Amino acid sequence: MSVRVSRRNFLKLGAAGLGASSMAMMGFAPDQALASVRHFKLSGATMTRNVCTYCSVGCGMLLYARGDGGANVIDNIYHVEGDPDHPVSRGSLCPRGAGVLDFIHSPSRVKYPEVREPNTNEWKRISWDEAFDRIARHMKDDRDRNFQTHDDQGRLVNRWMTTSMVAASACTNETAYLTQKITRALGILTLDNQARV
Amino acid sequence: MKGPAVNHAFGSAPSGIMEPPRVVLPDHQLFARRAARLRTLSENTPGLGEFLAFIASVVQAQQQVLETREPAWVPAAGAFDAALEHGMPPLGAQALRRDIDWQQDLAALLDALELQAGERQRPLLASVRGLSVQALDDLAEQVLDADPGDSGSRGQMPLVAAALQVAWVRLTRALPRPPERPTGDVYALCPCCGSQPVASIVHVAPERNGVRYLHCAICATEWHLERVTCTICHKGGQLHYLGLEDGDQSAFVARAEACDHCHGYLKIVPREFDAEADPLADDLASLALDLMLDEAGQYTRSGYNPFLIAGA
Repeated sequence: MSVRVSRRNFLKLGAAGLGASSMAMMGFAPDQALASVRHFKLSGATMTRNVCTYCSVGCGMLLYARGDGGANVIDNIYHVEGDPDHPVSRGSLCPRGAGVLDFIHSPSRVKYPEVREPNTNEWKRISWDEAFDRIARHMKDDRDRNFQTHDDQGRLVNRWMTTSMVAASACTNETAYLTQKITRALGILTLDNQARV
Repeated sequence: MKGPAVNHAFGSAPSGIMEPPRVVLPDHQLFARRAARLRTLSENTPGLGEFLAFIASVVQAQQQVLETREPAWVPAAGAFDAALEHGMPPLGAQALRRDIDWQQDLAALLDALELQAGERQRPLLASVRGLSVQALDDLAEQVLDADPGDSGSRGQMPLVAAALQVAWVRLTRALPRPPERPTGDVYALCPCCGSQPVASIVHVAPERNGVRYLHCAICATEWHLERVTCTICHKGGQLHYLGLEDGDQSAFVARAEACDHCHGYLKIVPREFDAEADPLADDLASLALDLMLDEAGQYTRSGYNPFLIAGA
């Protein structure tokens, strides 16, 4: 549906029109009102709808950010409240959801892949490509070592029992479908979806 | 909210899912509350004190007329059933304008104002009294059409609008139930009388906490519109909430909800910051915000406040 925005929707109200406005015609000089503007500074906030990532309920949230929604908007989020129009939560947030602002700004929040190599206690930042390569390498090695084609009675099983997968609580149906497809194709049987927290 | 509230030592907890009403008709104390708000604003709004104090006395007179005058025409029982059933605005402002004796409301309003008005406003009241029935009807048509008219009669229009507001708020009481929320292209027009909203308001009340409503400029009916949705082009995603700051403090309760799709804005009044805030009153008091935004030139005002009609 296209919405027609006509000129009738807009009712200009500016300094130029104030001299001939109803206020002036009623005997109230607009000079002071015009002068008072100089005290003020314009400030802006942007509001964005989002869904809480904590658990599978998926409550609606409104995130308030300073500025005009440009770069670094995450650093500028200053308030979070329940979305009263969300059909699931209707404005409610649990204590964890209501405290999500501290999660967003947490200094220990994981924002990029990191690795802790064997025999060290230091976390090292790596790129996403490196992270995917490492995970794929580990999976391939483990699968090559432990993949079972037959069980001890000689029946065909084609399973990989030494690796399991836990999927996240905020998965969409589509993500859940892909998770199933990938893990089952690899022969993984131990798959869980953390749909409750 | 379903079920009884759960009380504990620190207050009470909601007991169920919030189900906010979709459309809320004005109550009997609307004008009294608005007048009180305007008096508060008149004391702490630089540059607009006298103007807001006068509008406060107009609104107080509206309350008096609403409480005391019996209208000559009362709609028959069931008069609005067909409109309500088929989702049409039952109190269509232009359609009912000639049926309703709002001009008597205007006369009563001017009587009530006579003692309140200052020296500078007396000629204005006298000039409105002197208008012919036809001239008043023409002004009413302009007010209901959000037409700024010509500068000679522009000062009279807010008083005509005040009388129309009394007549329409009274009419909403004749409705057996609130109309349905408007949908489709008319989602931002009043479901009662078809007029434009003056501003939107975000309530703080248990049954509609944080819920946004549009507030009709004429009949004060409020209808639900989802937060973070443009009231002009119905799109979401690129909305900014612009306010004025005085030092580190927010200067007004009202913000401009500005949209980067249609480059328009409508004021939004979050009651979270002041539970007494009123869409019409706080829109008037935050005139400086309109002036700043007009000067910046990025966004154009929408929202019709019949108490402040600007020249073309």
